[in-house]
Amino acid sequence: MTRRGPSGVDDPVVRVESLTKRFGGVVAVDDLSFELERGTITGFLGPNGAGKTTTLRMLLGLARPSGGRASLFGRSYAELAEPSRRVGAVLEATDFHPGRSGRDHLRMLAEAVDLPGSRVEDVLRLVELQDAAHRRVKTYSLGMRQRLGLAAALLGDPELLILDEPANGLDPGGVRWLRDFLRAFAAQGRTVLISSHVLAEVAQTVDEVLIINHGKLVVESSLEQLTHRTAGSVRVRTPASAALAAALSRAGIRFSARDDGTVLAHGTTSDQVGDIAFEADVPIHELVGESSSLEEIFLGLTTEKAA
Amino acid sequence: MNSQFRAELLKIRSTRTTAGLVLGMIGIVLLFSLLTGLLTKAPNLAATSDQRNLLGVGEFAGVFSALAGVMAVTSEYRYGTIRPTFLFTPRRPRVLGAKVAAGLLAGALFGVVGGVLGFGIGYACLAGRGIAFALDGRQVAFLLLSTVAGTALWGAIGVGVGAIVRGQVGAIIGLLAWAFVAEPLIFGLLPGLGRFGPVHAEDALSQFTTKHLLAAAPGGLLLVAWAAALSILGTALAVRRDVD
Repeated sequence: MTRRGPSGVDDPVVRVESLTKRFGGVVAVDDLSFELERGTITGFLGPNGAGKTTTLRMLLGLARPSGGRASLFGRSYAELAEPSRRVGAVLEATDFHPGRSGRDHLRMLAEAVDLPGSRVEDVLRLVELQDAAHRRVKTYSLGMRQRLGLAAALLGDPELLILDEPANGLDPGGVRWLRDFLRAFAAQGRTVLISSHVLAEVAQTVDEVLIINHGKLVVESSLEQLTHRTAGSVRVRTPASAALAAALSRAGIRFSARDDGTVLAHGTTSDQVGDIAFEADVPIHELVGESSSLEEIFLGLTTEKAA
Repeated sequence: MNSQFRAELLKIRSTRTTAGLVLGMIGIVLLFSLLTGLLTKAPNLAATSDQRNLLGVGEFAGVFSALAGVMAVTSEYRYGTIRPTFLFTPRRPRVLGAKVAAGLLAGALFGVVGGVLGFGIGYACLAGRGIAFALDGRQVAFLLLSTVAGTALWGAIGVGVGAIVRGQVGAIIGLLAWAFVAEPLIFGLLPGLGRFGPVHAEDALSQFTTKHLLAAAPGGLLLVAWAAALSILGTALAVRRDVD
């Protein structure tokens, strides 16, 4: 049902319910549900082709869902009274006419929603493009185009920012600039959703993580929990595995025996396992810390079903 | 509506596409006016209807205004600006309506430039060759107004075709192939059918003396109907279709 009346503060910033998109026989987004909390930065992650962009397009009213619904502030995108003042979005870094100046690109969008010309100058300053604003976009570097797209999304001073693969093609300086910008944006109580196919790219920016694969939600958690969940395993090769197991049990460390005869201790460090083995007189032939990187976690989550 | 209309006008003004089309139109009108005005034998320029055909060469502006309308829609799809456009204005009929209105206005300006230029050169050719001017004031006014109105309507037709086809190359080729190949062919083979096409509706509006054409008033109304039908179909499709 469509809610009427002003969208309340109680409505989640984004609510996606059983969202589905089929293209012919191919299911691009499959019964996807999630919500975004105000003031958070959420990473929307998954390999290329996982359905991230299709989800964002449905959320933003550019594509029609085959099933389910997506709402922002309690309404569908098209029902928002002044969407550009609530939501800013960049779907492609290259959505400009090459022969139009950066300033005219922003002016034509501002004009359509009665935003003053001063607002155009404000966002140009914000993304540090004021000196290039008169030039045609074809003369811009990819980084400058990314910032121009961001400037357009910020024209209406929105509460929610949605960026699809914003770090693509940015140099390290640009990535840092974007991270600082998004941090400051969220610190004002605003909300950010950024998609990426590389977890490491957004790991230093996001608080929350949504991982999808084949159009389905695989993980919805905080980045902290995700890191905690799989970090800190130590693989030990020893001729006295029974003695090691006993020692680990006494120390309260979870472990598992592996098929290759090694022992895998969980939630610990190689220093700690080394000390325990030394005190228990257990000979160690090999001791390897396997604190798997976020990227490995991510790959593990998104490739297991692909096989 | 007003703000979206202003945004669409800014889009048309802020690239060099429109200026290029205006220059192309001026070149074509100049060329055809001069060729017709200077090379046609004097006895064939004496009658009112002959002179109207010469002075109305500005009708060619319609092709260029249609191309401007096509570009107004297809360049948004080609360069992806359709995404921010629909994000800022998710009510798509509002966007398309503003594009049709902007296409009509831009088309009218093409018509003024082309119509005045064609008339001016034609008049100068007649005067220079000492051929007596055969049109009265009312006929001159009708000629110029019908050129402006017809060219304006072609702007809207271009927007409609652009919204239906979306692909820039396909829309341009389709439009030119229809105007210069398909419709003339249909008119040649089946004039009773071909005269209902938009090109021949405009010829009728301009009171060209080709056989089988409709009268001016029904021709003009038919051109309005073409512009309305294509605009409405283009809008309906833009609303239905997903944006990539």
